[in-house]
Amino acid sequence: MEIKEIVSEKLRDKYYKINHDSGLTIYVAPKEGYKSSYAIFGTHFGSVNSNFVTNGEEVTVPDGIAHYLEHKLFESEDGDAFTKYAKTGANANAYTSFNTTCYLFSCTEKLDESLRILLEFVRNPYFTKETVAKEQGIIGQEIKMYDDSPDWRVMINLLDAMFQKHPVRKDIAGTVETIAKITPELLYTCYNAYYNLNNMVLAVAGNVTPEQVIAVADEILTKKDEPLNTRSLFPNEPYEVGKNFVEQKLSVAVPLFQLGFKEEAGDRRLTAKELAQTDILLSAFASEASPLYRRLLDEELINQSFGFEYFEEMGYRAVIFSAESHDPEKTAKIIKDASCELHKTGISEIEFNRAKSLVYGKNVAALNSPENIATIMASFDFAGRELYNYIDAVAAATLDDVNERLRSQLDADNTTLSIVR
Amino acid sequence: MSEIVREKISDGVTFNFISDNRFKTSRITAALFLPISAETASANALAASLITRSCKRYPDFTSLSRRLDELYGAALYSNVRKLGEIQALTFTAAGIDDRYALDDMKISAQLTELLCSALFDPNIENGAFIESELSGERRQIIEEIDSEFNEKRLYAVKRCIEIMCENEPFSVNRVGTKEKLSTLSGECVYKAWMNDLKSAKVELYMLGDTDPSSTLNGFKSAFGNKSRAIGLSTTIIKKADGVRRLTEHQDVTQSKLVMGFRTPYAEPYTDTAAATLMCTVLGGTPSSKLFANVREKMSLCYYCAARYDSNKGIILIDSGVETENIEKTENAVLEQLKAMQAGDITDEEIDAAKLALKNRYITCLDSLASMEGFYLSQTFNRRTRSPEQKAEEIFSVTKEQIIEAANAVSLDTVYVLTGKE
Repeated sequence: MEIKEIVSEKLRDKYYKINHDSGLTIYVAPKEGYKSSYAIFGTHFGSVNSNFVTNGEEVTVPDGIAHYLEHKLFESEDGDAFTKYAKTGANANAYTSFNTTCYLFSCTEKLDESLRILLEFVRNPYFTKETVAKEQGIIGQEIKMYDDSPDWRVMINLLDAMFQKHPVRKDIAGTVETIAKITPELLYTCYNAYYNLNNMVLAVAGNVTPEQVIAVADEILTKKDEPLNTRSLFPNEPYEVGKNFVEQKLSVAVPLFQLGFKEEAGDRRLTAKELAQTDILLSAFASEASPLYRRLLDEELINQSFGFEYFEEMGYRAVIFSAESHDPEKTAKIIKDASCELHKTGISEIEFNRAKSLVYGKNVAALNSPENIATIMASFDFAGRELYNYIDAVAAATLDDVNERLRSQLDADNTTLSIVR
Repeated sequence: MSEIVREKISDGVTFNFISDNRFKTSRITAALFLPISAETASANALAASLITRSCKRYPDFTSLSRRLDELYGAALYSNVRKLGEIQALTFTAAGIDDRYALDDMKISAQLTELLCSALFDPNIENGAFIESELSGERRQIIEEIDSEFNEKRLYAVKRCIEIMCENEPFSVNRVGTKEKLSTLSGECVYKAWMNDLKSAKVELYMLGDTDPSSTLNGFKSAFGNKSRAIGLSTTIIKKADGVRRLTEHQDVTQSKLVMGFRTPYAEPYTDTAAATLMCTVLGGTPSSKLFANVREKMSLCYYCAARYDSNKGIILIDSGVETENIEKTENAVLEQLKAMQAGDITDEEIDAAKLALKNRYITCLDSLASMEGFYLSQTFNRRTRSPEQKAEEIFSVTKEQIIEAANAVSLDTVYVLTGKE
């Protein structure tokens, strides 16, 4: 077992990275004087991993199975995990994204016991015909809730139109029809393929010591997992968007849109340095102090719901703008025109400096929260990035770097506009 | 650590200071409390928005945002919420501590300055807010009201409250109405603001590793020597007189069921610990009766939760279900309540709810914003309690008290939002 202490003088913080003998990577970030701890145990397996080769055999599973598995893992032969957590007071939850499934809790006492519960139930799948059938109604209602959610629909429609082949086009929870095909056997196949400790990460932050976490890991993860023998299969995604425009009618009082600028996905994840440059670039371009934001406000096109994100994983990358607007088409045109202009002029020194200071400060402030720290450590691990490297890269970024980065981003000729109205 | 120090500045004005060096940020908030009424809510809300949008020193949103970015992503924002039948306007300045700046920027001192400029030196001409600023904020608040319509779960809860409390000030939207907003002039909003500053009950908060003296002095000169805050109270209807039912139709896939209940328990009239615990046992956690039965056993829904408002003394239970299951779900909810009234509550259920509440309270101590919110929500309580004290109160509640509280609950309103026929 290897324990590495990672210190940041600048941030006056530290954390530990542990390569546990079981194959699991563990991060522990003690926060002095904190009362609570936040733990997250995740696998690099999400809704996009629906076609894979495991132990030499190619498998295709129904859409929505990663999310279904997340729900069903909470049940064990001796009762469900929520009942066990009820005895420690921990506030537990889980979520499935396009590329990860994470199980988490926050607690203010009995951390060791809650950690034991977390590791035990995630390591011990128990799927039967009856328990799988019971979940159809619950997840069916979850899917229907999202069907009525304009925020969700506008994003899923965008991804479906923007990407031509990659399974990120599909809704995370699947559909009532696809989940009807899920069986205990298929759940075990996915579990065995991806819930391998070498493909997982445990991150704990707050009122915790590395010794505490290692002791529980030693106790529960006694067997070393074999090296991961699963390879996800993804179709080659073309550079070009599938469709430029998609629209859905829902019961809304004010229309919503998302505008995606698709990028070359590349064959690797973004480095901490590239991500830092992109974050500064996007803030310079579109945060509240930017000329673009001002223009959109003056034209009465956006409100405080306006935002942007960088959507990036293995096999897909895009910058996505979103907002409520009474004229989404006009708003999108202004954003696209501004991006063309930006490619001509580059980012100015003034915008660069304020954006850098903004991004740096927000990242420092985020380190107050055990939830943020644990979540970022886990998601960065899946991407091969490191938390302090990223913040250092923000501090070290130069105007030239960011303008260079701009060259491969915000291509106004490769966008999709999704509207719900 | 985290002890709150309360200093009375004058009648109705209190300065709250929490000295805490665990965080990388500090925050200052001024909270103004006013009776909510359909007449004044809109002007107050609009004034609150305008106050943090610009000021004499930074006369438009862009120049203010730019300054905040330079101060390492500092924030200056207002918020409008309801505490029972009292409208709370909060104004917050927050930012990272000086020692984390990449240069020698003095951030903390500027936070007080910024907040005071915003509150006491607003962007006015000839006794009125400037029209261009006013129209922008008005539009954004109107769009905020519209967006409440977009999210159906929130919308259904809001509608249930409107119907249930039709003849009480509690039914007034926290930002008033679109109609009222569109008639307000810059002059009358400024008049409303001047009146708010003079008459509101005021709670000031300063939290972090910071010296309170200059802020305290600034606030003393601004808020001292004035008597204020007469007649701030919330009316409680202890028992429902019959059940009101309303079904509305929209183009939705999933039906929303919201049940509104009356209780005789509300601060500052009675203790609320028993009602809080009772509601948590019923539907406050994933081990609660509603979750365990309506969701897990009957597979009727994805969510079925109960919330108790200790300032108004009401309980709301909501769920998203198939249209044909609405009645079945309503009956299932009432059956769980009846079980509690009959004393069918296990020690495990009570202990689980106690631990969950304690966890929720103590976790507040690890965030400046949560600590502030925790104390702010107690503004009209008879005593101010720390998170630890509140947890102790919950732990002292007996099973008999829970049963008594359950028996005092009466169903008032059943609201259903469902698809078009």
